[in-house]
Amino acid sequence: MEVINVKGVSKGYKNHSILSDVNLLIEEGDFFGVIGTSGSGKTTLLNILAGFIEPTSGKVMYWSKVSNKEESLHKNLHKIKKFIGFTPQHTSFYHKLTVSENLLHFAQLYNLPVNHVKTNITNILKFTNLFDHKDTIADNLSGGQQKILDIACSLAHRPKIIILDEPTANLDHVLQRSVLRLLKEVNAQGITVVMASHDLNCIEEYCSKVAVIHNGKVHSQGNLEEIRKPYLTKDFTIQVHAGEHKAKLIEKIKTLPINKIVDHGSILEIHPRDVQSTMSQLMQIIKDDGLRMHHLNVRKQPLHDIFDHILSD
Amino acid sequence: MITLFHLTKKNLKLLFRSRGSALVVIFAPLLIVLLLGLSYNTSGAYGINIGVFSPSSTDANDFGEFTKILEQEEFSITKYEKSIDECLEDMKRGQTHTCLTLPANLKVEDNVPKEIIFHVDPSRINLVWMIQETLQSKFNIKSAEISKELTSDLLSTIDKTRTGIDAQKVSAASASAQSGEVSGINSDIKTKLTALDSNPIANKYDSTLINATLTLLATAQERNNAAMEAKGTDENSTDILSRMLKDTRDALVKIDTKLRSNTSTNVTIGEGVSIESLVNGIQADINLANAKLAAAASVIRQASANIDTGSAKLQTTTEDLGKIQESLDEMSKNLAGIKVTEAGTVAAPITMKVEKVAVQGTYLSYLFPALLILVIMFSSLPLGTTLVMIEKNNPAFFRNFFLPVRKVTFIASIYLTNLVLILIQIAVILGISMIFLRDSYAQLPYVALILFIAASLFTFIGMAVGYVFTSEETGVLASISLGSVFLLISGVIFPLEGVSAVLRKFVVFNPFVIAEKLVRQTFLFKAGINEIYMDLLILLTYAVVMFLGILIMETLLHKHLSHKFLKTHHKRHKTKDAIKNKQP
Repeated sequence: MEVINVKGVSKGYKNHSILSDVNLLIEEGDFFGVIGTSGSGKTTLLNILAGFIEPTSGKVMYWSKVSNKEESLHKNLHKIKKFIGFTPQHTSFYHKLTVSENLLHFAQLYNLPVNHVKTNITNILKFTNLFDHKDTIADNLSGGQQKILDIACSLAHRPKIIILDEPTANLDHVLQRSVLRLLKEVNAQGITVVMASHDLNCIEEYCSKVAVIHNGKVHSQGNLEEIRKPYLTKDFTIQVHAGEHKAKLIEKIKTLPINKIVDHGSILEIHPRDVQSTMSQLMQIIKDDGLRMHHLNVRKQPLHDIFDHILSD
Repeated sequence: MITLFHLTKKNLKLLFRSRGSALVVIFAPLLIVLLLGLSYNTSGAYGINIGVFSPSSTDANDFGEFTKILEQEEFSITKYEKSIDECLEDMKRGQTHTCLTLPANLKVEDNVPKEIIFHVDPSRINLVWMIQETLQSKFNIKSAEISKELTSDLLSTIDKTRTGIDAQKVSAASASAQSGEVSGINSDIKTKLTALDSNPIANKYDSTLINATLTLLATAQERNNAAMEAKGTDENSTDILSRMLKDTRDALVKIDTKLRSNTSTNVTIGEGVSIESLVNGIQADINLANAKLAAAASVIRQASANIDTGSAKLQTTTEDLGKIQESLDEMSKNLAGIKVTEAGTVAAPITMKVEKVAVQGTYLSYLFPALLILVIMFSSLPLGTTLVMIEKNNPAFFRNFFLPVRKVTFIASIYLTNLVLILIQIAVILGISMIFLRDSYAQLPYVALILFIAASLFTFIGMAVGYVFTSEETGVLASISLGSVFLLISGVIFPLEGVSAVLRKFVVFNPFVIAEKLVRQTFLFKAGINEIYMDLLILLTYAVVMFLGILIMETLLHKHLSHKFLKTHHKRHKTKDAIKNKQP
């Protein structure tokens, strides 16, 4: 069931267009990744989804389980906000309050019953591994813990959808992983996660669906396979570890139908026009010339390569 | 040195690029100076309402003259005819700044100076002095005018007297000369009279001889008569007659003897002195007396002539003196016409008496309303700004936009936070004030209400400043500057009535002025809610308007933040990409 339906949303600033005719479908339980270059409009899109920015045209519809129909976000902002948790790019909590005070403060603003709030907070503290730091002043937490607290604050009222803008930005690899694992667990609890990120590897690893924003437009959206499909023919590379015959092999490969050959030192990366034909011809050359080959690998292109393709389109 | 220059240059750049800081740090003082300059760039045009109570008997001309004096300073005059109390009530309400009780007229006709009673509100100390100084100087001028008139009258009378005296000097000189002449005549008469021989004749005449002679004659006569009588009746009459005749003859002989005796005239004629000599002596004396009398008669004639001359002169003198007398009478009348003769009254024919309308108290009680509002204002303004700034500059502020909480709730929460702190302050201030203002306990609820509304208003103003400015320092500085402007054009430091007429129209709506006026009326004049509700409503309206203004500001801030976000965030990334794409 789609929980968010973005219909032809455009947003501009003076004569400058940021988003243009954006259409998105996010379903319940999705771990939805929004990728795009810097300034492509990801953050603007998320802010529109969270209700902070009103689109110039188009509308954002949320599915209401109460009325069992779509409701416009900006017409029912106050009501819908209760079901959304938002984590902006930068930490957004009171640094001089303790962890539990922050959680309690934000949870209470949703007018939830006190007992409910307290139970929620205890669960969240345990769930996010912040329980031991519940009485620590937020300012004294590490960067990763602060990011987790930020996410926890967005979860304090048990939203149905959590929207996160670059949750892993400025974190080291280990912290990135722990934040993403947390989000995965959140998602596993049935909460729809919408996340914008630069880290394509993370998106590839954790997101079930992706929307690629390019120049303010949704270039493609869907699950990763659907995203890759148009690029499948170009999505393979042949990596050869040529050893001492590298120079001779390069000369031979250049005669093959390839797009380019990249010398990575000991490894040559061949971008074939047609992977099967190139492979057979390459094997024939090696056999005919008695060359030795240490390693041959045909690799499916990662998301960032596809993304590069999209950018170069 | 160059490093210092670069650092300074950088600091200035940063300062000017932060518009809020530049505005406050550089332009706020200039703005204050400009405001104050405009406010007090006036030369004596006061916005003071003066209530003048003049009894119905007041001379219309004099009243006109009074109002003319007051209007010279652009005071607006309100005439009260029933009683001064009406004016005093208006003064307590702040509609009138001072009340004057005028005398029935300005004519100083006795030695009592005319008194102008000057009713002032001592709680407005600076205004009191200003009005007192101004009016006193004006009335002093009037007093000097009257004093001049009185002195002029005096001098005119003196001048007339002097002219009269001058005019009578001739008469007096003439009288004097005539008197001198009369005196000379008198002296002459006196000399002449003195020269007259008034010595009595020293000769003494003994009348014994005459008496003896007369006795003899009588005797002779008696004898004669007896002889005549006896001649017919008695035979012996011849004898008797003969004897009688003989006696007569003897007597006659003796008389003859007496008469013929030769004696000196100048000697005492006595026994042995003849009557002839006696008569001769007397004749000589009579001659001498006649001579003397003749001389005296001559002197008398001369004296009489002189006396006639003297009389004529005395007549002239009398006439002259009569004229002098008349002139003196006139002078006396003129002098009697001067009714003001007391030096003090002539010097100060109009006196001013100052009467305070408020309950007599210390300066603390007069200053207390202003102090209260001052504390409230300078607490609420920066506190409101600080609380907004703390929230606005907090990283959590952004999250507020995603919370299902209405803007009004956030604003109200900041207001309430501020109010809690201010209420504590109010409680402390009022608690302390109770020690000093024991007689005002009953007014405390009203004062608390006023302070509550004032605190709310100043909090909202402080909050509005907080929403306008970006940095806490500049925001607080701006709110303090704003408070200073409110204070400077409040009448606490400089009399409000001294500001220029144009600004005065606006300055009276200064919330500090209204709040201070309300507390003053309540504390000092024990005004009830029915007397202050209008100003309270104005304050309340301000507070509501400010609240709505803040709501609008919050909305604008939201828009501003989203625009800023779009402008900076998106544009920055685009620029980065453009730079990247340009790189080979």
